[in-house]
Amino acid sequence: MGQMKRRDILKAGVGAAALGFPALIRAQPKEVVILGLWDQTGAFADVGPLNDRGMRMALEERGMKVLGKPIKYVTRDGATQAGTSTRRTEEAIDGEGARFVIGPWSSGVALAVSEVAKRKKVVHLFSGGTEDISGARCHRYSFQWAASPYTAAKTVVDNFMKANPKAKRWHLLVADYAFGWSVEKYIKEVGKSHGLEFVGADRHPLGEREFSNYVQKAAANRPDAVAMINFGGDAVAGAREIFNFGLTPKVPLIMSWSSGVEELVQLAPEIRDNLWVGTNFYYTADTPAAKAFVKAYQAQHKLPPGYAPSAAYSMTRMLLAGFDKAKSDDVQAVVKALEGLEMNDIVGPMKVDGSTHQTLRPYFFLRCKPKSAMKHELDFADVIATGNTPLPKEYAACKDIGSF
Amino acid sequence: MTRPLILVLAAIVLLPIAVRPAIATEIWIFAIFGLGLNLLLGYTGLLSFGQSTFFGSAAYVAGWLLKHYGINVFFALGVGLGVGALSALVVGYLCVQRSGLYFIMLTFALNQLFYFVAYQWTSVTGGEDGMPGIPRPAFLGIDFSNPINYYVFVCAIFLLFLLLMKRIVESPLGKILIAIRENEIRAGAVGFHVPRFKLLAFVIGGAFSGVAGVLYAMLFGIVPLESISFVTSGNVVFATLIGGSGSLYGPLIGSVVFIWLSESMSNVWARWPLLLGVAFVIVVLFFRGGVVEAWNRLALKSPKWFPK
Amino acid sequence: MLYALMGLGLSLITGILNIPNFAHGALFAVGAYLLATVAGFLGNFWLGLLIAPIGVAFLGLIIEYAGVRRLYAAGHDYQLLFTFGLALILSEGIILVWGPVGFSHLPPPVLRGGLDLGFTFYPKYRLFVMLAAGFLVLLTWLFLEKTRYGAIMRAGIENKEMVSLLGIDIHRLFTVAFALGAYLAGIAGALTAPIRGLSPGMGVDMLGIAFVVVALGGLGNLLGAIAAGVLIGVAQAIVAAYWIEASTAVIFAVMALVLLVRPQGLFGIR
Repeated sequence: MGQMKRRDILKAGVGAAALGFPALIRAQPKEVVILGLWDQTGAFADVGPLNDRGMRMALEERGMKVLGKPIKYVTRDGATQAGTSTRRTEEAIDGEGARFVIGPWSSGVALAVSEVAKRKKVVHLFSGGTEDISGARCHRYSFQWAASPYTAAKTVVDNFMKANPKAKRWHLLVADYAFGWSVEKYIKEVGKSHGLEFVGADRHPLGEREFSNYVQKAAANRPDAVAMINFGGDAVAGAREIFNFGLTPKVPLIMSWSSGVEELVQLAPEIRDNLWVGTNFYYTADTPAAKAFVKAYQAQHKLPPGYAPSAAYSMTRMLLAGFDKAKSDDVQAVVKALEGLEMNDIVGPMKVDGSTHQTLRPYFFLRCKPKSAMKHELDFADVIATGNTPLPKEYAACKDIGSF
Repeated sequence: MTRPLILVLAAIVLLPIAVRPAIATEIWIFAIFGLGLNLLLGYTGLLSFGQSTFFGSAAYVAGWLLKHYGINVFFALGVGLGVGALSALVVGYLCVQRSGLYFIMLTFALNQLFYFVAYQWTSVTGGEDGMPGIPRPAFLGIDFSNPINYYVFVCAIFLLFLLLMKRIVESPLGKILIAIRENEIRAGAVGFHVPRFKLLAFVIGGAFSGVAGVLYAMLFGIVPLESISFVTSGNVVFATLIGGSGSLYGPLIGSVVFIWLSESMSNVWARWPLLLGVAFVIVVLFFRGGVVEAWNRLALKSPKWFPK
Repeated sequence: MLYALMGLGLSLITGILNIPNFAHGALFAVGAYLLATVAGFLGNFWLGLLIAPIGVAFLGLIIEYAGVRRLYAAGHDYQLLFTFGLALILSEGIILVWGPVGFSHLPPPVLRGGLDLGFTFYPKYRLFVMLAAGFLVLLTWLFLEKTRYGAIMRAGIENKEMVSLLGIDIHRLFTVAFALGAYLAGIAGALTAPIRGLSPGMGVDMLGIAFVVVALGGLGNLLGAIAAGVLIGVAQAIVAAYWIEASTAVIFAVMALVLLVRPQGLFGIR
C-alpha cells in the first residue's frame, strides 16, 4: 500500500509530492477507525442524532476497544444527499483512515456510499429498505442489516389480512425512490395470494410534506385499507393528513416500513387509532439483548429507542462480532467473518447470508393502541406478530457476490 | 505574472496540506463554477439563481457518456463545456429580456424545471439516487483515480480557465459588460446590443459551469440529484458574494472560504448552518464586497500587515 | 387560500421594500412553532392563534430595524444573501429550541375529522383554514384600500420618493410593512401547524410557493397575489388528479410560462 502510494506520487511530479502526506500521516494503524455516516442536515436531519446515540452505546459498551485496540469513532454529516455523503465518506477513508463504515440512513444515498465502499475496499454496513445492497448491486463489502423488503411485505400483508380478512381493496402511497419501489413490488406480489385489489398506487417525492392531493385521491378510491410505503417525516405527514381527511380511524392505515417509536411519538394518540405498523424493531421486543439495550437507552434518553438508534446499535454490535470472529481488523478477514455470522441480538436470532450479504431476521408487526388502552405515554402499540420468511430464491437479484 | 496569480499558485500548492485532497479538489472545481457565475453577477450585474442548470446538465450528459461509452477525460470536458454553453444559451435567451427580481425568479423557475426532468427521468439520471459509477479514465498513462493526480489535473484546468476569464474580463467584451452593469440604458444608447451581450455572458458562464460540473462528477464518481438543484445554484451565488463579486479573484476566495468553512464546521457542530447564516449576515452588514473588500479595507489601515 | 396569505405577506415586503425576502418561509415556520408552544402552554388553540403571529410580527420588526433597514440601497444579491442567512439562523434556531424531531399539533376538537361531500372527503379543519385565510385576506385588503395608512402603503409601492417628499416617514412605513408581512407569514404558519405538523424544514417548501405567487401576481400587486395564490392552489389540485408526481413542478412551469409571456405577472401593471 505504502509502496503504491509512493510510486503514484512520483508520477504526479515533485511539486505535488507534498500533497499526499497529510492523509498518510493521519492514518494510524494502531487504532481501529470506524465511520458513522449519519445525517445531521437534510431530509433525515432528525434521524442522524439518534443513529449516533445507538452507535456510541454499542461502542461504549465495549469500552471503545476491540481486539485490545482502541476504537476511534469518526462521525460525519451525510446531509441526506448522495454527493455530500460520498464526498465525506471518501474524505474519512482517505483522511482519517476509516476502514469500516456504518450508515447512512437513506437507502438511495446508501447505494452511492456502497459504491464508494466497493471502490475503496472498506467494510460497509447499512440498514434500510432498498433491496439493491443485498440484491442487484450486491458486492463483497456492503452488508444489509434490515430485513429484506420481501420479509417485511410478507409479514405485514399476511398478518394484516389475518386480522382484517375483508379489507381487500388497498390504496398505496409510495415514496418515490429505491426503498419505496422495492417494498411496493413485494406488497403487490404477496397481495396476490390474498386476492388483494390495488385500487391505486401513487408515488410521492422524498421529503413531501403536502399530502392533501394524494389523500384526496386515495379517499376518492374508497379503499378498505391505505398502506403507506414511506418513512420518517413523509410517513408522519401522510398519516396526519389521512387522519385530517377523516379516513382513519374508519379506514385502517398501514405504515409498512416504519421507524416505530420515532414516528409514532410524532403522531397524536387520535391519529394512531386503527394504525398498523410494520417495523424493523420495536422496543417491547421480547429478547434479552433488547431488554438490556432499551433499559440502558431509556436511562440516558427518556424516550425508548426506535428503529434508528437500534439499527445503529445492532449494526455496530454486528461489526464488532465480526472482529471477534475474525480475530483481526483486516478488512477481508472481517468480511469473511461477517459472512455467515450468527448472533442473537436485539431483534432475536440473526444470520448473515454469505451469498447475498442480507441479514435473515425477524420483522415486527404492530397494532397501535387507542388512547384509552395506553398504560403510559409511550405505550404506543403491541407487537402482534413477527415474521422472518426470507426472500424466495427466484426473486434474489444477487447472483454473485463477487470477489474482493 | 501578476501578484494575485502567484498567490493563487501558492494556494494551489499549500491547500492540500491544510485540507484533504478531495476537499481541495472540490474547492478549485467550485472556483471554476464561481468564475462563470461571476461574469454574470459581478461583471454584468445579472443575479442568476439557476446556475446549477448548466452545472447539472453537463454533469449528467458527460457522466452518462463516461459511464456507458468510456470517453476520455478531455472529450468529457468538451462535452461538458458544450452542454453547459448550450443549456445556458436556451435559458439565457429566455431570461435576458427580464430584469431585477423577475430575472432572478425566472432563472430559478427554469432551474426547477430542469431539476424536475432530472428527478423524473430515473432510467437515465437515477432520480433521487443519483447517477453513480462515473469513472475517471486514465489519460496517456496518467491514472486519475489517484486523488493527487486528479488534484493536479483539476488545478491545471482551473488555471487555464482562470487565465481565460482574465483575458475575457480585460478584453473589450469585459468592458462592455461592466458598462452594462453600470448603466444598461447608456450602454444601449452608445450602440451596444445589450441583450446580445448579456446572452454572450450567459453562454460563457454556462460553459464554465459545465466544465465544473463534469469535473465534479468525476471527482465523486456520481452525479447526485442535488447537482442540479437550486441549493447548488444558491451555494455558488453565496460563495461568490462572500468572496467578493466585484473582482476576478473574489469567487476563488469565496470558494475556499465557503467549502472549507462548511466542511470543517460540519465536523465540529451539527448545527453548523447556523454559523453559516451568521457569517452571511455579518458579510452583508459589515463587509459588503466580501473578503476582497475586507482585505482592501484592512490594507488601508495597516498596509504593512495586509499588502494590496 | 393559504398560498394567497403567504403570497400576500411576501408581496407586501417585495412590493414596498423591493427585497426578495428569503426568510419568509422561516417566519412561517416560527409562526407554526409559536402556535404549538403557546397553545400547548395555555391549553387553548384560539389564544395561540392570536398570540403566535403577533410574536412573528415582532420578530419581523426587529429584523427590519436591525438589518434589513441598511440594505435598501444594496443590490438584490446582498439582500438575498442577508435574508438567506436569516433563514438559516431561524431554522437552525428552531432546531436548537424545539429539537430536530417534528411533532403533531392537533386541530381543536370541534374541527377534527372530515366532511363527506359525496364526491370527496374534506377535512373540517381545512375548511376552517380556508375561511380564516379568506377572512384575513379580506381584512388586509380592506386595510390597504380603505384606511389612510393603507393608502400610504400602496402609494409607497408606486412611488417611494413621492411618498417621502410628502413628509411621510418612509422608514417607519417600511418597518410597518415588513412587520405586517411577517405577521401574515406567521399566521399562515400557525394555521398550517395542525395540517402539516411541525418540522424544522417546513418553511422551505412554502417559500418557493410564496415566490411563485408573488411573481405570478405581479410584484407589489396585492390583489394579484391573492388571485395567483388561489390559482396556484387550484392548478395544483387539478394536475394532482392526473399526474400527481408533477404537482410540485407544475407551479414552477406555470411561473416560468407566465414570466416569459407576461413578464409583469398575470395581473401586474408594470
